Amino acid sequence: MPDPKAPADPIDARLVRRLAAILNDTGLTEIEVERGDLRIKVARNLGGAAAGPTYYAAPPAATPGGAPPPAAGPAETLGDLVKSPMVGTVYLQPEPGAAQFARVGEMVSEGQTLLIVEAMKTMNPIPAPRSGRLLELLVTDGQPVEFGEPLAVIG
Amino acid sequence: MFEKILIANRGEIALRIHRACKEMGIATVAVHSEADTGAMHVRLADESVCIGPAPASKSYLNIPQIIAACEITGAQAVHPGYGFLSENARFAEIVEAHGYTFIGPKPEHIRMMGDKIAAKVAVKSAGIPVVPGSDGALRSEAEALLAAEVIGFPVLIKAAAGGGGRGMKVALNAEALPEALSTARSEAKAAFGDDSVYLERYLSTPRHIEVQVIADSFGAVCHLGERDCSLQRRHQKVMEEAPSPAIDAAARARIGETVTRAVGALGYLGVGTVEFLYENGEFFFIEMNTRLQVEHPVTEAITGIDLVREQIRIAAGLPLSFTQDQVTFEGHAIECRINAENPRTFAGSPGLVTDFHAPGGLGVRLDSGLYTGYTIPPDYDSLIGKLIVHGRDRTECLARLKRCLGEMVVGGIETTIPLFQDLLAEPDIIEGRYDIHWLERWLKAQG
Repeated sequence: MPDPKAPADPIDARLVRRLAAILNDTGLTEIEVERGDLRIKVARNLGGAAAGPTYYAAPPAATPGGAPPPAAGPAETLGDLVKSPMVGTVYLQPEPGAAQFARVGEMVSEGQTLLIVEAMKTMNPIPAPRSGRLLELLVTDGQPVEFGEPLAVIG
Repeated sequence: MFEKILIANRGEIALRIHRACKEMGIATVAVHSEADTGAMHVRLADESVCIGPAPASKSYLNIPQIIAACEITGAQAVHPGYGFLSENARFAEIVEAHGYTFIGPKPEHIRMMGDKIAAKVAVKSAGIPVVPGSDGALRSEAEALLAAEVIGFPVLIKAAAGGGGRGMKVALNAEALPEALSTARSEAKAAFGDDSVYLERYLSTPRHIEVQVIADSFGAVCHLGERDCSLQRRHQKVMEEAPSPAIDAAARARIGETVTRAVGALGYLGVGTVEFLYENGEFFFIEMNTRLQVEHPVTEAITGIDLVREQIRIAAGLPLSFTQDQVTFEGHAIECRINAENPRTFAGSPGLVTDFHAPGGLGVRLDSGLYTGYTIPPDYDSLIGKLIVHGRDRTECLARLKRCLGEMVVGGIETTIPLFQDLLAEPDIIEGRYDIHWLERWLKAQG
């Protein structure tokens, strides 16, 4: 969008040429002048792309919810990842001392509870999205999980 | 004092709250959507919890997920920031019902001020001036004329069932009243099926001036002066300053005292802002915001008081760290809201920030979560930073602001920085002569 307040020809071509001549005469690589609102910078291209500005790296991301970061590429290629649909605490068995809902290596059927995620005093069963073998459990009993955190792999 | 606070917000305000917490030795929990995994408020927080997908309704407004995040992290209090759940009385109640502290006012006050009619009634009875108007619908032309003479011309005729500007007509004097009245009636009938109308004083060139108040649980209430937020576009504030160029110390003390007394009478807790229209030396109540405001840093700049720190202290049951006598106003401050928008069309400009350089120097504050390589998600509002500049007087402040706008670099996206550079060249802005219609008029004239 054109700047409605800009004059018809905002660039002083003569000034640019004069600056370019000075640049050549002196062997400088860059000249910048400012007059009122106008600022002109004439620079020599020294060949090769100019390096972009360097910045210090931002600090590493905080650990999610005190939980370990999602394991990088769990056996995703081998099966289907089951992700947590909510924030909460994982329990692998219905109550302390009871048998685990499902163990790694077992066959599970679609809709079968793999584990529960407790949030706001409510136990939310996480079902197997399809039938298959439980290849991996990516969480431990009592572990806090985020939304979208990988819980299990079904092959 | 709390050991861990969950910040139920995103962007620059989440970062702002995090900073106050860290200075107080309080650990922070950031909650975020899947779109904000790489956001600065998440990167700087001590812990973070992803609470849902990008849409705010499924993440930043998702109350069960936020409560669950408190449970798994052991946070003791929730700071809602502004927007999102900050003025949701039900959220405040749920937070408290689960045994956590809501850092904000009591739910009853959030609810009261959220209902615009109840709010007007409540503040009027507490002694705050409201726009004078006729009590109820007008039955006849004679009644309208009588009411208008009591209120004073010009008057605005408004549809009782109205909204959105329909059924609204201005009568500048008694001669113009009959026609304005009948036009408003027929428009109201057509638009709302009800031709009831009422009268209000018409303010033609008001300024938007708001008073910052703060109250603790021991009954202490202080005001922290005013902010002038008259530069608006579509009812959105664009630039704010304190003190207002239109108010002198005596007027400031008077309105401050009125507001302080009223807020005390309501039994309010925490920070709040009472917004007014100001014309010809008179204040008229608009609404009260029961939360921290976007433009709170201009007040912080001239008073030296950290409002978020005070909020946290009040929520923890501590008294205000100052008295009204100790509040002094030093110099002048201006805030520019830097949005990721085209500076002329205001079309949003999300995307990758290829370069970022923050302005610096004496009296300069930039509240922003921007960094080089950050991708601004398209899912939320376009505010990407607030530039707040303080000077010993308004002239110094304006010169410093101009210098800072020239220094700031945000590459890869469009921002409203050029808009502010143009505004600072306008004599009306330099001299502080503007009302709430000034910016829209100016933008129209620019084409």
